Amino acid sequence: MRRSLPIRGLLISVTVAWLLLVLALPFAYVFSQAFAGGFAVFRDALAQPEALAAVRLSAIATTVALVANLVFGVAAGWALARTRFPGRSLVLVLLDLPIAVSPVVAGLMFVLLFGRQGWFGPWLEAVGVKVVFALPGILIATTFVTLPFIAREVLTVLEETGTAEEEAALTLGASRTQMFVHIVLPAIRWALFYGVVLTAARALGEFGAVSVVSGNIAGQTQTLPLHIEAAYIDYDVIGAFASAVPLTVMAALTILAQKVVAALSSRERGARVAEVSPTEGAPGWTSV
Amino acid sequence: MKRNDRQTRTIVLALAALMMLALGLLASGCSASTPKTSASAEAGGAPAKKTRQLTLVAYSIPKKAYSKIIPAFQAYWKRKTGEDVKFTESYGGSGAQARAVIDGLDADVVQLAMEPDVGKIAGAGLVAEDWQARAPQNGVPTTSLIVFGVRRSNPKKIADWADISKPGIGVITPDPKSSGGAQWNLLGSWGSVSFDGKDAQAYAQVEKLYSNALVLDKSARDASNTFLKKGIGDVALLWESDALIAKDEGGEFDIVYPKSTILAETAVSVVDKVVDKNGTRDVAEAFVQYLFTPEAQEEFAKAGLRPVLPEVEAKYADKYPKPSGKLFTVADFGGWKTTGERFFGDTGIYSRIQADVAAKKK
Amino acid sequence: MAEAELTTTLTGGRARRWRPPPDVALAWGITVAVLGLLVVLPLSAVVLTARHAGLGGILRSVSSPIALAALGLSFGGALVSAALNAVMGTVVAWTLVRYEFPGRALVNAVVDLPFALPTAVAGITLSELFSPRGWAGTLGLRFSYTPLGVLLAMTFVSLPFVVRAVQPVLEGVEREVEEAAASLGATPWQTFTRVVLPSLRPAVLTGLALSFARAIGEYGSVVIISGNIPMRTLTAPVLIFERLEQYDTVGATAVATVMLVVSVATLLAVGLLQRWGRHDAA
Repeated sequence: MRRSLPIRGLLISVTVAWLLLVLALPFAYVFSQAFAGGFAVFRDALAQPEALAAVRLSAIATTVALVANLVFGVAAGWALARTRFPGRSLVLVLLDLPIAVSPVVAGLMFVLLFGRQGWFGPWLEAVGVKVVFALPGILIATTFVTLPFIAREVLTVLEETGTAEEEAALTLGASRTQMFVHIVLPAIRWALFYGVVLTAARALGEFGAVSVVSGNIAGQTQTLPLHIEAAYIDYDVIGAFASAVPLTVMAALTILAQKVVAALSSRERGARVAEVSPTEGAPGWTSV
Repeated sequence: MKRNDRQTRTIVLALAALMMLALGLLASGCSASTPKTSASAEAGGAPAKKTRQLTLVAYSIPKKAYSKIIPAFQAYWKRKTGEDVKFTESYGGSGAQARAVIDGLDADVVQLAMEPDVGKIAGAGLVAEDWQARAPQNGVPTTSLIVFGVRRSNPKKIADWADISKPGIGVITPDPKSSGGAQWNLLGSWGSVSFDGKDAQAYAQVEKLYSNALVLDKSARDASNTFLKKGIGDVALLWESDALIAKDEGGEFDIVYPKSTILAETAVSVVDKVVDKNGTRDVAEAFVQYLFTPEAQEEFAKAGLRPVLPEVEAKYADKYPKPSGKLFTVADFGGWKTTGERFFGDTGIYSRIQADVAAKKK
Repeated sequence: MAEAELTTTLTGGRARRWRPPPDVALAWGITVAVLGLLVVLPLSAVVLTARHAGLGGILRSVSSPIALAALGLSFGGALVSAALNAVMGTVVAWTLVRYEFPGRALVNAVVDLPFALPTAVAGITLSELFSPRGWAGTLGLRFSYTPLGVLLAMTFVSLPFVVRAVQPVLEGVEREVEEAAASLGATPWQTFTRVVLPSLRPAVLTGLALSFARAIGEYGSVVIISGNIPMRTLTAPVLIFERLEQYDTVGATAVATVMLVVSVATLLAVGLLQRWGRHDAA
């Protein structure tokens, strides 16, 4: 469309201006504030024991959410892709709910269940197990908000690839385990990786749900985003933005990883699948 | 086929059981790994080297003071008993902290911005009803005033409560629904006119105050951030303690003491149910007592909080001026029991004000 | 779930009722257990707690002027920001797919940033930037503590959805059809509205619905930038949090229930839209 050259220029500038205003500016601001006092101040702010403990807790929560979601994601994706029944869309809604539910509501749910006055509160207290305001609550909340990501990615890919290869393998005498390992796993490996990246990004940054169940004990139940808020409220602007830098860098790395995966998988798919259907990819999911 | 069925069902059942088990293990494993009371040490009965564990849950402002008081108490306790005390600390909005304790945050000691927040914990059965009677000074370790933060050299000439209810003044105050400090603010304005909950003039002044509000932040700290860092508003209603800390941090603003204002009393208590469960009553009670020693009181005074011990008060008289008019307390309103319900209950004065202000904004 | 009539192409047994192969059964076991424990059980705790108030209590609690205004702002704000994202997202997706320009890869990459940036950081950053003393504020863009600030935060956190929904569809659209339209005398605008847009519509709507769902529930950034003034900038999630602080659990769960219903409805709509898109393509 050579005729629409002025439109082209216009659209490109609109796109760039929009993203500059809404995206680039905030990011520039994070870095400018973090390094406002020079590198030494930045490093000291990050080396505080509370900040380090927050980094460690965020790492633990993210790892647990990842492992739990890997198991669940593969299972749910596989189950939903290979069975059709009335009410399947209802299960899909349940699966998607964690991203649509307000994080505050998510936190509230777990307090209602596991709080001292909650459904299981008295029982948990009798057994001597703490869930909310302790590590388990943070792990559960983090897992909850990241529940759909891997499952959704896996489901999309499995629906797209269809069952022909799996059936062929079975017909040729492969056991179901062999079929799973040699056909299914290779097919979903990029989706898995991509889902892992999304899960990690979301788990690292979760704020609302965790803030309700955390109890904010510095050095114990304070995740990195909570530590940032605490530092900010404590007039420690540099500390707050300095702690935001690792998260921002992680965000950038996440996106980079995502792009690499997208490029690799599309090259691979390009070799295998000749024609790409228009609804290929996961509409609405942040995949490319 | 039949056999396959049974297999499938067994697998599904076993799996569900496994999931439950895994979740349970995870939960217990994690809570075991978070240091609580060192029950093992106590059970081992080696009296020579015991490490005790205390959890302090407090509102956000005394954080700085506790960073000095806690090490001092640790040294004191070590001298006295030979035991080490490890502290875990949690700071946040007073109301949020009270809710967390009620919902299961295991605090041995709470210090909150106001008596009703401890009262709510007592209401949930975690703190004995006589918590005020048993503590020194009625359970009030520190006090503070509500003061005005104004822009440099006070361009809007704000001197007293009536001034901030004038039209065209932008007010920053936290939300009385979530912040203890904000409730003191409301009572400060009301009490500058009358202590009568039915007084129409007082109502008018407070209502105008809230129609002047530009931002109702979640907590007192958020409110001072809004005023100082973001440059919003002409006046912020601040805790004196917060204003002094902000000044120390280089905040560019002036502090104005209204002619008469409210003396905000904080509240401290041991959480009975938790200390009895953890076996920490002795050290928790000693810590509360320690807060009323001259050493601790001096640290509070240095960190912006008014001491309650007369001798320390006298020493810091210059830093903490008495207002020229009356310095009133909640007792003048008839105590928190009636005041809380009358002003902040579901159908209380603040709810009415909110509705009136909202109606006007429409 | 086991009673449901299952159909699949994988096994063609003689039995009328299909029995899932063990691995699928295992997968269902995990799925049902996790969804049950982590989603259904906790959500029912919210709804059942709200039920303590009775239907009248819930209605009263949700229909107080402040709650109504908060729900209105959340719905309205989420709708407007989703609409804004739908328009801008389509423009961005179009530009990224159809035009080559220096820095395209970079622009393509940053679109996902809001998704990965913690909302608390987003809130602090946006509220400082758009305050009277911030970079944007000194240029006259003073959105902090106004309904526009709420809109800004909502738009920020839900920005990637439409772009990422439209992009793959746009990549799949066959250029020949457009060229055919153009050679038949259609103006570029006609080509766009009559040929391209219809094929994009399901994707745009899907993205819009997801943006809406994300924006309506947003808490971390909104609570910081909004200023939380009842009737003006107080949103429903913040109201839930406030009521929680006030020990008004029933009031909190009442508002939460309304939001849950909206979330479920939105997701059902997304599901329908996606099915529509698939049928369209077929």
